[in-house]
Amino acid sequence: MFTKTKIAAIAALGLTQFMGVAQAETVLNVATAGGQNMVDYVKTYLAPKFEALHPDVTVNVVGTGPGDAGSHKISEKLSAQKNANRTSWDIDVAVVHQKIGGEMVNSGLLAKYRSNIKTGKMVSRDSAKNALGIDVDGYVMPMFHSQTAIAYNSDFVTNPPKSYDELVTWTQKNPKAFGYNGIKNGMSGVSFVTGWIYAYGSDANTLSSKTYNKDLHSSWNKAFEDLKAFNKNITFTPGNAGTLDMLNRGEIFMGPVWVDMFYSWKAEGKIPPSMKLSLIAPGMPGQPMYYVTPSKAAHPKLARDFIELATSPEIQAEGIVKRFNWYPGIDANYVKSELDTATWEKLFAEITPEDLSQYGKSFPIAPYFDDIKEGYERNVSN
Amino acid sequence: MRFKASYNLWLIAPAALMVAVFFLYPLYFSLYSAITLDNGSFTLTHLEKAFELYSNDILFTIMLVCVSVFILAILSITIAATIALSPFKRITSLLGFLYRLPLFIPFIVTAQMMRTFLAKNGLMNNAFVEAGLLTPMETISLLGWSGIIITFVWKQMAFSTLLISGAMAALDESQIRAARNLGASKIRILFEVMLPQITPTLGVAMVLSTVTMMSVLSVPLMIGTGSPTMMSADMAFRVNSYGDYHVANALGLVSYLICAGLAWFYLRQSLKDKGAVA
Repeated sequence: MFTKTKIAAIAALGLTQFMGVAQAETVLNVATAGGQNMVDYVKTYLAPKFEALHPDVTVNVVGTGPGDAGSHKISEKLSAQKNANRTSWDIDVAVVHQKIGGEMVNSGLLAKYRSNIKTGKMVSRDSAKNALGIDVDGYVMPMFHSQTAIAYNSDFVTNPPKSYDELVTWTQKNPKAFGYNGIKNGMSGVSFVTGWIYAYGSDANTLSSKTYNKDLHSSWNKAFEDLKAFNKNITFTPGNAGTLDMLNRGEIFMGPVWVDMFYSWKAEGKIPPSMKLSLIAPGMPGQPMYYVTPSKAAHPKLARDFIELATSPEIQAEGIVKRFNWYPGIDANYVKSELDTATWEKLFAEITPEDLSQYGKSFPIAPYFDDIKEGYERNVSN
Repeated sequence: MRFKASYNLWLIAPAALMVAVFFLYPLYFSLYSAITLDNGSFTLTHLEKAFELYSNDILFTIMLVCVSVFILAILSITIAATIALSPFKRITSLLGFLYRLPLFIPFIVTAQMMRTFLAKNGLMNNAFVEAGLLTPMETISLLGWSGIIITFVWKQMAFSTLLISGAMAALDESQIRAARNLGASKIRILFEVMLPQITPTLGVAMVLSTVTMMSVLSVPLMIGTGSPTMMSADMAFRVNSYGDYHVANALGLVSYLICAGLAWFYLRQSLKDKGAVA
């Protein structure tokens, strides 16, 4: 009986694979890593726009999950198809995180396409050429840039810290009022810890672009010890959203958050208007998401068209900046002209462009990044 | 007869193949990966690293699971005994319905529910504040180790009570009546007549609950704060953050060993019981 049900279920599942083909001649498979907001963006905003321009194409959007893990799944799927010597792979466009994007370029999974699309030359950010130390020039288009910063409740904190040093003093005066999510429950905590190492270990330039020196991490012991002491004065939160939740409920008054999430929550009324942002010295990291297309995508031309549409100034202005409060992936000057000043100013209301360029750092290159996380696990949490 | 035997073998072949392909092979593979380098040579470095980085978390996991199982045993026995021994049949049938509810709620939903219930300004504390029992400044957040225990106990209680209550219902009614006629109190009936006979079932319920708790990822991720955290969260972190399956599998090996230790105790106990009977 159960077997019969199972067979029926599998058959039904199998049928759905064909139904997609039956509806339209071509299916463009788009896989996106990242949280639900990313999947929503691609599914409800980008896909319909693309289908309107290409009536014979259906866009099939698959979300692979938040964080590097989501990107990892895309990378594992493609490399499995590569190892099986498939002639065409079943993902046409993928949205991946910076670290995995670099790794995918290294393992030859991606096509070099940027010079073939019109929007390719509108890119000015460094992260379009260099992904945590790996040369990705030509293989990726930044979808948007996201940044971490310290959110605080301005009703209670009138004079927010401007640097890690000031933050440490603040937490000593206000024990348990600062909260972050460690390093295992989301990237905002990882980002805070990375910023800590930039401040007290090695500076961001050394860790983001230089060649790897495997002995460097042994000089961070003092920084980790201090962080362990710092952790005694703070509250641990259960995740990126958890930090915002606790800020909202007034359980903590300060904590590291993703800027885009912060603005979206504020726009939806999930956190009070008294919440403000501060990007503290010497800086906290942020990262882009990349549009990539696999080297053996089934529909390379359509994939390029899709990315070209997604990175056009109109879409970047309307979708990325206005709707989702992300910093644009292409050069901001192309986007600014598409937007009214109010929207533009809202994006930079709390973190000025100067602060962003001065304190908006990138994540360290992969081996240093692993050293930071393992150092934290070894010296701080264990 | 011979024909029949081989025919029977064919019948179990699909199931056996499923077990081999989807269970034994991955199990072997993960154990193998925990103790070998990429080139296949034997090593203990992954295990060493697992202990070096996560010894606190391993202890934390064992403590949490032990405390949860202990509370779980007490609560399930209490509920099952109440249902079995209470003279108020209407109330006990309502209780019988209520305790089963968590059985149908997945762990992740339970975790989300507890997250809003147990937070510092969550539903529970707000109710206390509204009732005038606490002031907002006195409330504490139970998100953390205590929240994980509460969630585990809440969720597993249905399952273990169901098993225990089933075992109690299957007991020979005449023994309980006889004890009652001889003037034994309900507590005494529970401890001296019922519990000794349901120990194997209690053991099964607790061992299965332990294995479930060890494997749950959503609860430590959603309710725990990450420092310290449970081993399942560490394994996920190892894979997601470093792409390092070796140390993740080494942690898996440690958790197999913990569960295997329990299973060994339990099997030894139940074999002893059977031996004593025979």
